[in-house]
Amino acid sequence: MSRAAAPVDGRLAQRPASARGRAGRVLLGWLPAVLVAGGALVVFFPLFWMAVTSLKAAPEIQRVPLQVLPDRWLNLDNYREVFQRQPFGRFLLNSALVASISALSSLVFSALAGYGFAKFRFPGRDVFFFAIIGILMVPFQSVVVPLYLWMNRLGLLDSYPGILAPDLVSVFGVFLMRQAIEVVPSDYIDAARIDGSSELGIFWRVVVPMVKPALATLLIVKFMWTWNELFWPLVIVNSPSMKVVTLGLISFTNMYFIEYHLVTAAAVLSVLPILALFLVCQKWVVRAVVMSGLKG
Amino acid sequence: MRQWARLLWPRTYMDRQRRAGLLFVFPALVYFSLVFLVPLVESVLGSFYRTVPGGVSQFVGLRLYTKVLTDGTFWQSVRNTVTLLLMSVPATVLLALAAALGLHRLARLRWRNAWAAMYFLPFSVSLVAAALIWQWIYDPVYGFLNHLLSLIGIPPQKWLQSFDQVLPSIAVVNVWVRLGFDTMIFLAALQAIPAEYYEAAGIDGASRSQALRHVTLPLLNPQILMVCILELIFNFKIFDQVYATTQGGPAGASQTVIMLLYDTAFKYFRLGDASVMAIFVFVSLLLVTLLQWRFFRKTVEY
Repeated sequence: MSRAAAPVDGRLAQRPASARGRAGRVLLGWLPAVLVAGGALVVFFPLFWMAVTSLKAAPEIQRVPLQVLPDRWLNLDNYREVFQRQPFGRFLLNSALVASISALSSLVFSALAGYGFAKFRFPGRDVFFFAIIGILMVPFQSVVVPLYLWMNRLGLLDSYPGILAPDLVSVFGVFLMRQAIEVVPSDYIDAARIDGSSELGIFWRVVVPMVKPALATLLIVKFMWTWNELFWPLVIVNSPSMKVVTLGLISFTNMYFIEYHLVTAAAVLSVLPILALFLVCQKWVVRAVVMSGLKG
Repeated sequence: MRQWARLLWPRTYMDRQRRAGLLFVFPALVYFSLVFLVPLVESVLGSFYRTVPGGVSQFVGLRLYTKVLTDGTFWQSVRNTVTLLLMSVPATVLLALAAALGLHRLARLRWRNAWAAMYFLPFSVSLVAAALIWQWIYDPVYGFLNHLLSLIGIPPQKWLQSFDQVLPSIAVVNVWVRLGFDTMIFLAALQAIPAEYYEAAGIDGASRSQALRHVTLPLLNPQILMVCILELIFNFKIFDQVYATTQGGPAGASQTVIMLLYDTAFKYFRLGDASVMAIFVFVSLLLVTLLQWRFFRKTVEY
């Protein structure tokens, strides 16, 4: 089969050929690899550039023959200054708290709803399910004004419940959990039912253990999404102590003068936890992306 | 009606089962109604009311619609959004397709997973952080990009601060952010294509480029379409990148629809006008999604 033997290094070129022809083929065999790797480096460069800039002192980044690497690796002065200028630790904590609660809450309610949609028949089931999927068509920005007015009336502006309000259950989560639970064999559920287990008991002891990978996926992805969110926090947060990390990042910018040594250090601080989570859990994230893609 | 009554007062085992199912989905249903459906209705209603300072709303019929939809600033923001979209979407999809095909074909490439991860990484970065990193690269005086240009003798450009270059510059950020997402989808789809198809193509004497054209791309068609639509929706809602860098400037050159909506609602507190824009965004994306469904019905079967 030709695909498995893809001539990465041109070795498949078996026909005897002139030296020049063979060299050409070797080059052609290498070309895609060079392009793919080169593209990867280009895509990676901005992250690298952020990281090295965060280690440079202000005068260093303004040196005129531009210098790529920092004078002193492990120069953490910028990071120290980020925490001195703004309560950045508080921002990180706020984000961690908000993202964790929103991920956990989505997990619980999406799993419950997913189980209901996957394994029960009740009047209106399909209508309800498609109504929920239909919400994917409603851009959040279309409902933001009424939501803001509600939060204002409820006195929840500038509070954790206010930041969390629109993020407690995710449509994608319901969809993902329904897909995952649908393939759990109903025999197990029926067997537990015959043994006299309650419906919630079946959910907890039979269904949940069998869909752990999907639960992990949802947890990670929802955490990432909430951590990276800007629009709603921007609307609802006023005081510095309630800012999440995306807002904290923006507070380091200014239309006229930007201290990039600080901005990049703050950006590293905001990106690093998610980047690490992503690298460790890449398998699950890819799964979620593919699922969210398939949902359209 | 009777089946609903039997849900409330279940008589048989099946009734109790139905009620259990409904109870499982109930919290999510209530939540989504509160957070999406009711506010959406309120948005529609709000677009007919003008809020007078002091908090009194006054019914004005369609007057806000005529006001917003005849406003040059609004259409400028729509034009900017569409321009951005036309610059970002094709580039993202084509580059992602190339990257995925490359990564897939080079199954034996050394460190293949590391190369793939590099493409995926920007996807995990927040749009704010992405925008700020790029703003630094675009810096007219000390930025890396102008440094590169100076090496080949091109004078420094103003990028985000230039009236003509600001939209393409933001488009590059969009492509960078979304490339990984699309590459992941394409790569997964490519890996799902059974090897037999290529064997058959090989037996029929197809060259590699013929196999690409007649086997891979047709099989990838649903994913390509889907990614295009997702990108369309994503780019239509562009806000974070613009807010973090240019705030719509210079002189409105990068003002997008959502950016204008945000300013109208939360900077000038013209909530009625903002609601009209919200309805506009909703209807536009609804049309895109409906088009997508029509497309999908036709193209998914092969």
